[in-house]
Amino acid sequence: MASPGGQGGGGALSTRGGGGARRMKWALELSLGNTRSRGDRQGGQGDVVYPIGYSEKPVPDTSIQETDKNLVEKRCWDVALGPLKQIPMNLFIMYMSGNTISIFPIMMVCMMAWRPIQALMSMSATFKLLESSSQQWLQGLVYLIGNLLGSALAIYKCQSMGLLPTHSSDWLAFIDPPQRMEIMGGGMVL
Amino acid sequence: MAKLILLCLKFTILCGTIEAVFEDQVGKFDWRQQYVGKVRFSHFDTHVQSSKKVLLATEKNVFAALNTRTGELFWRHVDKTGPEGNIDALLQHGQDAVLVVGNGRLLRSWEINVGGLNWEIVLDSGSFQSACLVGQQDTVKHVAVLKKTAISLHYLSNGHQKWIENLPESETVDYQAVYSGGNGEVYALGLVPHSHITIVAYSVEDGEIIKQISVEAPWLSNIQASCAVVGQGILTCVDSATVSLYILDLHMQSQMTQIPLQSLGLEAAPGFHPALMSTQPNPARPPLPEFFLQLGPEHYLLLQLNNGQIVTLRDFNLPVACSLNLFSAETGRRLLDTTLIFNVDPNGGKPEKLYVQAFLKKDDSVGYRVMVQTEDHTLTFLQQPGRVMWTREEALSDVVTMEMVDLPLTGTQAELEGEFGKKADGLMSMVLKRLSSQFILLQAWIGHLWKLFYDARKPRSQVKNDVTIENLSRDEFNLQKMMVMVTASGKVCNKSLPSHLVILIFCFFSVKLFGIDSKTGSILWRHYLDNIPSNAAFKLMVQRTTAHFPHPPQCTLLIKDKDTGLATLHVFNPIFGKKSHITPPTLPQPILQSLMLPLMDQDYAKVLLLVDDQYKVSAFPSTKNVLQQLQEMASSIFFYLIDSAQGRLSGYRLRMDLSTELIWEVVIPTEVQRIVSVKGKRPNEHVHSQGRVMGDRSVLYKYLNPNLLAVVTESTDLHQERSFVGILLIDGVTGRIFHEAVQRKARGPVHVVHSENWVIIFCCFYEYWSTKSRRNEFSVIELYEGMELYNSTVFSSLDRPHAPQVLQQSYIFPSSISTMEATLTEKGITSRHLLIGLPSGGILSLPKMFLDPRRPEIVSEQSREENLIPYAPELLIRTEWFINYNQTVSRVRGIYTAPSGLESTCLVVAYGLDIYQTRVYPSKQFDVLKDDYDYMLISSVLFALFFATMISKRLAEVKLLNRAWR
Repeated sequence: MASPGGQGGGGALSTRGGGGARRMKWALELSLGNTRSRGDRQGGQGDVVYPIGYSEKPVPDTSIQETDKNLVEKRCWDVALGPLKQIPMNLFIMYMSGNTISIFPIMMVCMMAWRPIQALMSMSATFKLLESSSQQWLQGLVYLIGNLLGSALAIYKCQSMGLLPTHSSDWLAFIDPPQRMEIMGGGMVL
Repeated sequence: MAKLILLCLKFTILCGTIEAVFEDQVGKFDWRQQYVGKVRFSHFDTHVQSSKKVLLATEKNVFAALNTRTGELFWRHVDKTGPEGNIDALLQHGQDAVLVVGNGRLLRSWEINVGGLNWEIVLDSGSFQSACLVGQQDTVKHVAVLKKTAISLHYLSNGHQKWIENLPESETVDYQAVYSGGNGEVYALGLVPHSHITIVAYSVEDGEIIKQISVEAPWLSNIQASCAVVGQGILTCVDSATVSLYILDLHMQSQMTQIPLQSLGLEAAPGFHPALMSTQPNPARPPLPEFFLQLGPEHYLLLQLNNGQIVTLRDFNLPVACSLNLFSAETGRRLLDTTLIFNVDPNGGKPEKLYVQAFLKKDDSVGYRVMVQTEDHTLTFLQQPGRVMWTREEALSDVVTMEMVDLPLTGTQAELEGEFGKKADGLMSMVLKRLSSQFILLQAWIGHLWKLFYDARKPRSQVKNDVTIENLSRDEFNLQKMMVMVTASGKVCNKSLPSHLVILIFCFFSVKLFGIDSKTGSILWRHYLDNIPSNAAFKLMVQRTTAHFPHPPQCTLLIKDKDTGLATLHVFNPIFGKKSHITPPTLPQPILQSLMLPLMDQDYAKVLLLVDDQYKVSAFPSTKNVLQQLQEMASSIFFYLIDSAQGRLSGYRLRMDLSTELIWEVVIPTEVQRIVSVKGKRPNEHVHSQGRVMGDRSVLYKYLNPNLLAVVTESTDLHQERSFVGILLIDGVTGRIFHEAVQRKARGPVHVVHSENWVIIFCCFYEYWSTKSRRNEFSVIELYEGMELYNSTVFSSLDRPHAPQVLQQSYIFPSSISTMEATLTEKGITSRHLLIGLPSGGILSLPKMFLDPRRPEIVSEQSREENLIPYAPELLIRTEWFINYNQTVSRVRGIYTAPSGLESTCLVVAYGLDIYQTRVYPSKQFDVLKDDYDYMLISSVLFALFFATMISKRLAEVKLLNRAWR
């Protein structure tokens, strides 16, 4: 399609693209051979001139419909129940990883502990997501409970792995030597 | 298959943890000094002109050869201690040295070049009297040994006995000396005290009695003390009562000729027993006709015996000798250019004995070297113009007690420390102080720069890098310390008697203090204390460390005369060895014990309490401040006294007026058992962990009673069936007995280590008839408070209602031990090891983990969790546990441990005949980079990475920019 007409059009349009710049709205390849097809495509797009008021982005449909509302509700419940649904999976992973302290179980536990915490921290964002729902508060509560359960599970796992300082031995290093009340000395009679 | 096994072996060896030193670390952190003890006999090896040997036989039963150029040992043979290995006589001929050992029990011949044993024979029983080499026609082939009842002749080449003859009338006659003049006869000189001399002449060939004469000598009481054989076999004796010489020709006369000393114009010092000295340079020839007569402590005469006539060659009336001259023995004239000036060390003792090695120089003039032995057992080797070639401090083979003191900080550090250590007076003075300290720092720095500049101009060889007192300073990790050693060696009063007659009565102790640099082992200062009573007890205490800068560090040595009970204090600076200007208190009352309090006076000196026999207490230093503090603290100061003779353990409490009250008393019946030792805890011991973690992660709290004492008793009945060793754990404040254990059929010597919450006891089980029960055992006792602490903030013995739980276990050890000590570290985090000195000369570092009464018989999950080793009755000695690899430490008597600035490192000094210093790392060096750490590699990698990031950053920037332009 390297026609002389195209070339002329190119010359006409080059001023619009901010002449001299590398990034052009369109370009016409004069060379033949391998770049032909690309030039083809670009030339094809370049040919379209958008009408006034046309936006490339799709405009959201703001009209509320009854069926959509149900869908939103469903979607929101999905979000709220997400953490709870993960619990059986987590339990399985916990069971599989065992109680030995090595790199993989630790990574698992870390992930398990970190995800609920992360979720709890970004609670407000989730609430925003659930804003559209009518049962917003209930869903929020379920979401919270799910995450709390998740973290409880992580803590339980830490406990069973012995990572929690719950025993007296964990605080042994912090006990200061007792102060001596009496001064004593002496020995065999010299 | 063999290859596979070899491979497996190699693998296991490579994988095994290595606790011993690496080859390149030998001698890097450790040093050993070998000593021989006080010299009894000494001979210069003269059979070769260029020989550099001097042979020494010492009172420590050591036979050694020293290099006369350097003072180092060529070889050394350490015999048994006690009378069994006692060296009675040393005779040297050519390459052979003949020793009579163990009161005439053994006759040994050593090859002196390499120190190898030529032969050894067992002599017939009988108390040894004298020995001499017997020569004939200028060759020495035999050695004669005189015993109480018999005389025997042995071949020098193989030790075989040529003949043995019973001495006539040996019940009444006391044969004391043997003499041979090289004419084929051996004379045994005997004496019936205050009656007559018996002279028996034996033929060398067959032992036949050639002649037996008896000469009246009612004035004579001891041949060895007052007689000598001079010239052509003429016995010369001196009598102090009539002040005259008696001469007797052994060959013909039967009557002694009296020559009064007045006739020679001589007089003896009143009250002094004159003595004779003669020399026999070659045993095949008669002794020299010249001899010495000692008339007073410092009055000597060189006499010549010539055809029965005595001629005075020279009269030496010397004050204390400080210069040496060589005199011709024939004429009595002083040889030219032979003066040697010997500077007597003011911190040493007086010269006691000289060993002279004379030789002909190339120009036929006489040269000589002298080995001087002083009262403090120092050997100094002098060359002619008075140059000291080497000095050996043989007193260091008798260390009784020691301490390690931190070195002072450098000037810079000390100034800063000092500024914060001083008492604050106000803002202005603080500013002034700061300014002055900064000024001093600047001064020091400029001085340092000047010194650097000055040294740089000098040739390199002149710049010394020796450690001296001036440049001593603490290193980064406080690994270098000052070892303060107290040596005390008994000195025998009566030296003129032959050794076997001396009942070892020590007239006085020769006590010398040494300051030794722990890094190199060089002696930095020495201080000789004279007039120390015999039978003294010593206690060395550090009153002030180097931490309080403007005040010098201070050590106090308590010397107590055991006979009178009176004590004196020697206060000195442990870094410089100088006597402190502080006058110690005079102690008119006998002192029972001393007690170092953690209280300090205003000059940061710890308070020393001295308990006298009235149980009254005096304090040193006793300033008003101290007394006030004592009054405030009095109710919490307790002390205990253990009287071994009466079997009494008693505890006292201090009253406000410095008197004491008895608060408890335990009496152990002395008929049944006697108290052998008592061990408290070391005051500078820290325990980091208050408990032990169990398998179920609960805590078993340790019973860390700082007042706990371990008292060891031994039965007085030594019958093997009834003997026992008892141990008593008792609280020193309240007298409460926590635990009592008895080991039946055991006997001492018992060694005890008491630390943290454990006590380790070592004793031997001995049953004569059964080899099965003849063994050495370690017993360990551990005390635990239980699963809960009674009071975690304060410990008071007066408020501990619950008795501790006691756990005990025993193990069989394959060797007997000489001494035992536990490692000590700064904070007590590092695990503990037990340092055991073995009689073989090894020092074993046994992990305490192996001596743990919680070692289970049946392994369970929990015990595995706790890392407990399953119980096995036998403890093995692993060779890699020897911390002194091949550096044998002979006759270890004590091990001293001190913490260093590094938590992982403990400094160890083992002393006995030798001194060995090293470092141990009970939990490996967890806080130090490895010795062979590759700094180069790591730093080069770091730098390379750093530059790589810099470059790649730049490249990335360029690339981004390019992309932006695209």
